Amino acid sequence: MNKTEQPNLKTSATGGAGSAADTGIESGTRTLLKYLGGMALAFLPFVLLVEDAHWLNIIAFTYLMGGLAAAWNIIGGFGGQFSLGHGVFFGIGAYLAARLYVSYDLSPWITIIPCALFAALVAVLISWPTFRLRGPFFAIATLAFNEVAFVIANHFESVTGGPRGLMIPFKASLANMIFRERWQYALLMFVFAAIVIGITVVLRRSRLGYYLLAVREDEDAARASGINVLSVKLQGMALSAGLTAVGGTLFAMYLRFIDPPTIFNLQEVGVKFALLSLIGGVGTVAGPLLGAALIIPFENFLRAELANALPGMNLAILGLLMVLAALFMKRGVVGAWRDLMLRLRPKKGGEK
Amino acid sequence: MSTDLLAVSGASKHFLGLRAVDDVSLRVRKGEIVSIIGPNGAGKTTFFNLLTGQLAPTSGEVRLRGELINKLAPHDRARLGMGRTFQIAKPLIALNALENVMIGAFMRHRALSTARDKAMVVLEKVGLAHQARVRAGDLTLSERRRLEVARALALEPEIVLLDEVMAGLNQSEVGQAIELLQGLHAEGLTFLIIEHNLKVVRAFSDRVVVLDRGRLIAEGTADQILNSPEVVKAYLGDGHQAVELGAL
Repeated sequence: MNKTEQPNLKTSATGGAGSAADTGIESGTRTLLKYLGGMALAFLPFVLLVEDAHWLNIIAFTYLMGGLAAAWNIIGGFGGQFSLGHGVFFGIGAYLAARLYVSYDLSPWITIIPCALFAALVAVLISWPTFRLRGPFFAIATLAFNEVAFVIANHFESVTGGPRGLMIPFKASLANMIFRERWQYALLMFVFAAIVIGITVVLRRSRLGYYLLAVREDEDAARASGINVLSVKLQGMALSAGLTAVGGTLFAMYLRFIDPPTIFNLQEVGVKFALLSLIGGVGTVAGPLLGAALIIPFENFLRAELANALPGMNLAILGLLMVLAALFMKRGVVGAWRDLMLRLRPKKGGEK
Repeated sequence: MSTDLLAVSGASKHFLGLRAVDDVSLRVRKGEIVSIIGPNGAGKTTFFNLLTGQLAPTSGEVRLRGELINKLAPHDRARLGMGRTFQIAKPLIALNALENVMIGAFMRHRALSTARDKAMVVLEKVGLAHQARVRAGDLTLSERRRLEVARALALEPEIVLLDEVMAGLNQSEVGQAIELLQGLHAEGLTFLIIEHNLKVVRAFSDRVVVLDRGRLIAEGTADQILNSPEVVKAYLGDGHQAVELGAL
């Protein structure tokens, strides 16, 4: 009788997916149309700049990173498990496929799925104990996995080539997933991004997708609702890790040279996936690709324009930008957009 | 035995030296409404958590439909037909009301469309259908309590454990909530409730048990319990034997 409970009046400052504008559950057809429209829009830069080798490189990398960020977003965004160790799965996809191709002449087209499954298995094994940790403790533990993977990659030269790296000889053919033209790679990366985001779209409307959201929001409530929290986290992690490994394979075949400092670079890989998602809108379908579309070209621009004049300045500006985004766009570009839409239609309220 | 939906025998939970729940036995028959009352800190919520699997008992047995469920995780107990609400409502604030209830409905209905339809039916039942598309974080306290009940009902449970669902509600909201629970009870649902509001306890319970300092000190009908000197003493201390608790 005398117990009161503070009503939680937070509205738009917190939360992520499924919030604000898209309250109702849209029809499957509408979702499909939005997906196709969004991917067509994402394809536009490719069409417009297909003649420009410099831009094609940036575009290919943007698609790749967008797809990888979307893969991270499955467990990091929907599941709320802030992994900074996805470089491990990225590395498995890159090294395993590259080694199988270089030493055994196995086409990456054949090995890409088995490599992804192996990464998913590794993900389950290392996440099982780690998922007992919550919040920042989980993030730190995954960070440690990335460092361990770095050491292992340096040590096991027979597989990884150690610190000298692993070179993939240039034998251009579709069967080898090695291409003469930049646009072919860009197209490949686009297909990867489209597949990952397609999977995300389906996931967002599936039971597993909803369960991941429930786990992120409140684990106790999830348990009481019949959800096996550990199993849901592991499923999300396995899917996320497998897709990340696919991106790793594509990365290796694109660069044709991989070494531990490139693959396990925290700023450029493990943390980058999370960062792109955060900028675009963590836990949203479109956010990761949007984040990549904003940050990857901008990074390239800064590097080209500033790195020579003032070394390090490009990173400083990028860092500043991210601080500002963290302060003023807590739910990323997608979140800011939804807030804006709500403000423009204030009368609409909750009813639809 | 077979008529007992839920049977607890000798359940204890010790936190280091503290006996939060001390040798409590309780039976809830199918279709019954049993209220647990007791002063703050009596171990009511801890006892609940032993039943739902949030906590493991130090000793004792919990049986659902005769089946020993001591070692089962909360989600397995939910599957066996046990729904619960939390003392502090736990809405999934980024999801809308309908999606919150779907989280429960998914347990027995895998497909999105079925889960959505089932969830909508439950929302209508608790009187929240008009708020289906509102984010749970934007609901009022009383609506959040209804949402919490709805999510439990979406599990299609046999017994629902309600942990102070009336707390913080005003008179008319309490009246509506009682109406809702009575309707559900009429449909055959069994309830075990923790409730501070003794008017609710009196209006709604078949049987009342009293916990005090982890022990079950009294058990009977609402009238017997609320007039019992021992219970009054547990609530108010010595020297208040003349007071009738129901009048509070």
